[in-house]
Amino acid sequence: MTYGKFVSRPPVVCRVRFLFPLCLLVATPLGAVDYVRDVLPLMSRFGCNGSACHGKAEGQNGFKISIFGADPAADHEAITRQSRGRRIMLTAPEHSLLLRKAAGEVPHAGGSRMKTGSREYTILRDWVAQGAPFATEGRAEIASLTVEPVERVMTFGQKQPLRVKAVLSDGTEQDVTWLTQFQSNDSAIAEVSERGEVTTGSAVGQAAVMARYLGRIAIFHAIVPRPGEAVAARAETFNELDEHVQAKLRKMNLQASAVADDATFLRRVTLDLIGRLPTVNEARAFLQSTAQDKRARLVDALLDKPEFADFWALKWADLLRVDRLVLDHHAAHDYHSWIRTAVAENRPLDVFARDLLTAQGPLEEQPAGYFFKVAKKPGEMAASLSQVFLGVRINCAECHQHPTDRWTQRDYHGMRAFFEQVSYKKAGGAEALIIQGNPQVKHPRTKEVVQPYALGTTMPESAPDGDRRAALAQWMTAPENPWFARNMANRLWAHFMGRGVVEPVDDFRATNPPSNPALLDALTRRLIEQKFDARALIRLITASLTYQLSATPNTTNENDTQNFSRAVFRRLPAESLLDAVCDVTGVPEKFSGVPANTRAVELWDSQQQHYFLKLFGRPSRTTPCVCERSTGASISQALHLMNSPNLQNKLAHAGGRLTQLVSMSDAQIIEELWLVCFSRFPDETERQQAMEHLSTRQDKRRQSIEDLAWSLLNTVEFVFNH
Amino acid sequence: MNTSPFCDGLSRRSFLRVGAASTLGAQFSLGGLLQAESAVKTATRGDVSFIFVFLRGGLSTIDTFDMKPDAPDTIRGEFKPVRTKVPGIHICDQLPRIGGVMDQFSLIRSFTHQNAGHGHADHYMMTGYHPTAAFNGSLTPNNEHPCMGSVIASKLGARGSIPPYVCLPTLHPSGSSAYLGPNAAPFTIEADPNSPGFQVPDLMPPLSIDAQRLEDRRGLLSKVDRFQCSIEQKANAAARDLGVFSQRAVSLMTSKEAKQAFNLQAEDEKLRDAYGRNTLGQSCLMARRLVESGVRCVTIEHQNWDTHYGQFPTLKDDLLPKLDNAISTLFTDLRQRGMLKKTLVVITGEFGRTPKISKEGGRDHWSRCFTVALGGGGIQGGRVVGQSDKIASDPADSPYGPEDLCATVYSLLGISPHDEMHTPEGRPVMLTNNGRVIKELI
Repeated sequence: MTYGKFVSRPPVVCRVRFLFPLCLLVATPLGAVDYVRDVLPLMSRFGCNGSACHGKAEGQNGFKISIFGADPAADHEAITRQSRGRRIMLTAPEHSLLLRKAAGEVPHAGGSRMKTGSREYTILRDWVAQGAPFATEGRAEIASLTVEPVERVMTFGQKQPLRVKAVLSDGTEQDVTWLTQFQSNDSAIAEVSERGEVTTGSAVGQAAVMARYLGRIAIFHAIVPRPGEAVAARAETFNELDEHVQAKLRKMNLQASAVADDATFLRRVTLDLIGRLPTVNEARAFLQSTAQDKRARLVDALLDKPEFADFWALKWADLLRVDRLVLDHHAAHDYHSWIRTAVAENRPLDVFARDLLTAQGPLEEQPAGYFFKVAKKPGEMAASLSQVFLGVRINCAECHQHPTDRWTQRDYHGMRAFFEQVSYKKAGGAEALIIQGNPQVKHPRTKEVVQPYALGTTMPESAPDGDRRAALAQWMTAPENPWFARNMANRLWAHFMGRGVVEPVDDFRATNPPSNPALLDALTRRLIEQKFDARALIRLITASLTYQLSATPNTTNENDTQNFSRAVFRRLPAESLLDAVCDVTGVPEKFSGVPANTRAVELWDSQQQHYFLKLFGRPSRTTPCVCERSTGASISQALHLMNSPNLQNKLAHAGGRLTQLVSMSDAQIIEELWLVCFSRFPDETERQQAMEHLSTRQDKRRQSIEDLAWSLLNTVEFVFNH
Repeated sequence: MNTSPFCDGLSRRSFLRVGAASTLGAQFSLGGLLQAESAVKTATRGDVSFIFVFLRGGLSTIDTFDMKPDAPDTIRGEFKPVRTKVPGIHICDQLPRIGGVMDQFSLIRSFTHQNAGHGHADHYMMTGYHPTAAFNGSLTPNNEHPCMGSVIASKLGARGSIPPYVCLPTLHPSGSSAYLGPNAAPFTIEADPNSPGFQVPDLMPPLSIDAQRLEDRRGLLSKVDRFQCSIEQKANAAARDLGVFSQRAVSLMTSKEAKQAFNLQAEDEKLRDAYGRNTLGQSCLMARRLVESGVRCVTIEHQNWDTHYGQFPTLKDDLLPKLDNAISTLFTDLRQRGMLKKTLVVITGEFGRTPKISKEGGRDHWSRCFTVALGGGGIQGGRVVGQSDKIASDPADSPYGPEDLCATVYSLLGISPHDEMHTPEGRPVMLTNNGRVIKELI
């Protein structure tokens, strides 16, 4: 059994590192070894303060230090004073438990992290010998961190050592490579050793390697193009967005797929814009139209449909957490209606965000204020709104510095302070959101008063007057805000492409760079120029060649998932899939508590009891993360599509579509079914196979039509948007 | 006695069957291939299975497994401790048949945790993680962390055509996969194995679709599904997954094992009677059948153990006889089939009940000390680990908690409790929160 040994967590420790030339040892002036600058980076690099070791809340085997070294003073205390000071021995540094454990001289669950006598060992020993000082007065601070090289185009299996330099406040430079922690965001493309040597794998793409030293971060980009002969560049572009995509594809030596045919475009864009399948008539009309600009006209028509508001309200209701269990029926319904109205009237995204952020007064009149009831605490409000509107996750920083971003606890509580005035008052049965007082927020560790300040800005002397949220809203939605427009543009792009330029869409950080910065810049600029008009950006995206590419890969791009060289298959969201089943069979689903013929996409209550919706991954809206909505497959899903009595009842329903089909000719039936399921005509083989199926079962005509429809509903082509 | 051929034999058999199915059904060859690969992978791992009998509401262990006959009458209750098959271990006189198999399982009498609220304690016991402040117990599933079954499914994968983790008769609210996603979510029966016409929903087509018609449909599907095994499907992970799961679903529908496992009618009537003709009894029987067919973890969620009012008649006339029959028969049945060494059975509620009997003649929630019963799968039977104090108010020694239970279950199944899992944001989470394997049991 393996449980007794620590097997999984610590990265492979380099065992051969004891032959360093002595001259390298003198990285710091003699005698200036202190905890903050010399020991802490080692503790981080060894993983001592990681979440799997002594850094976790309970510590490990009685030794607890702060996660990722967030609290150096406390950690210094823990090492030098706790356990009756037995962790260090000033008189005999080599006998310090700290050294003996880390060097594996005595049993250590974390294994041997360094060799006795190594460079690291020497630092620790000298530090103890010098009295284990916390910090050295007058020592120059770190001004910036750089990594060299910054970017390199590499081939499969190639190596690249990285050099990390810290520039100090006195202008001197220091090589800190050996004290730096490295981490790749895609180890299939590029791995990085503990020593900072990057090795590419055998996958095409781009990886970001993070170098982290004393809370500072620098990034190296490994770009691995497809090997082999250069592909012929395709000049074709539909708009500016394509130029950026094509430029990246040339760099990666990839060729984009062909343009999708009309039928594929119709089904794709209809599902993406209004969340339902095109009707048979819509399909016929579009496929028969000879208008040059019919794709653009289709997009315009779809944008004006009420279903557009239904579908996008569903999307926003997930993010803004329209949660009936927290709110109640009435409130959740009002909150949802507020969102739907904003979408329907195409309220600019900045105005939408500001309206939500500053909602106050009676909740019945200001339903946007329900957000603050769902996100109960000020910290949760701050974190949720950062994630939704900025695409920045700050939750980690509630308790410790964000491990892969620059956010500190102070930053988190600075954001939290904007929401401390939110409270509620009941008057005559109605509830109102009110803003009151001038509450102070204190840093949980340092107890310093933290004034409200936005991410990446400097903390002011005092809190803004009045509703602090107004100040935050102003900052957040300004065109020059570093994240808002980028995040919104990225979310829109991701909706249509199945992947953001930054992915996950709600995780913007230095260590998760955009796969195509120029593309994201262009999308952002256009959104700002268009005054945050979502529909205008949607027109631009859907008009691009990139959006209109086929999902059929070519030999160059079959493994590409990062560069938008082809359309990707996306399973229909639960609600769209259920509506699609209803549309094909012509039998609407009955939901409780809503008017008859309400479609699943229109449901405002994500807690409505429904086996199908739950099974296909409807989110419960307990977080603002898009990841809550699952589009994964399961056995139960497959079983349900094949065997569900409800589905069979819809197929067999006397008032359904199949009843109408019975009187038609075989050819007509087949055409109708293909059009309603796939928005295309069957090809010759399919037509023949279906004809054969129907003609050999003339005695059981109704059944054989049901069987044909059943087969189509169970295809990959039906279940996916492609 | 044949001790271990079952799981090995099964893995190999199901592997062969999967291989055969994928060759015959050319349209599913991709799914078949992936499945075969995972079958090979899993065949080499530890093959202990896990039956988790969850007595939701909270079993009164002071009235059953850890009696206090010398305590004042406000505490000791109406039942009497009696000898069991193991000298020195006494349990309640209402569980005579369980006493007869005391050598098959052991008791942890010093089990303890700090939450006596149903939803929270459920989550804690099912996952080994205490819920956070944001926990919403009213959701189903409400998992902030994956439950043991999901971790097992995620770490070990499926054995052949049958799902790795099954919940019955319904989904336990904390019985799901949280961030491990739908692949690790339980296959839920959603039907009572004790109901006369019991069958698993969606496992078989509606009655109006006979076997011939199903075959016609599938034949037709293979012709019209133009993306099956296409370059498009190859290039898209999501579409590939659907192929895999569709194949698994078909395997499940056409699997003799699955049909066999879910077909309680095939079981000997006398054995069915012995398990007890009630939801708990038939669920235990179903669990044995499922494990026999290759399921790695079965969670049985049995309700009504929240005995706040007039508990003695309820326990005596209803709950304990059911428990007695179901659990004793389960151990006996597993042993007789040579499955016990490869099948870990854990019986517990989310907590125990107050030492003091309330005015209403019941006991309220008590998490500070209760007993967990467990046997098989490498657990030494007939042991008592830990003692409670005089009134079973607190552990007197060796306190163990949900973290330790999880660590013990995982390691018996061949999973390192020090392993990690990851949230979608990439945050590493340990399988157990510093859990210790309870070595005295092994």
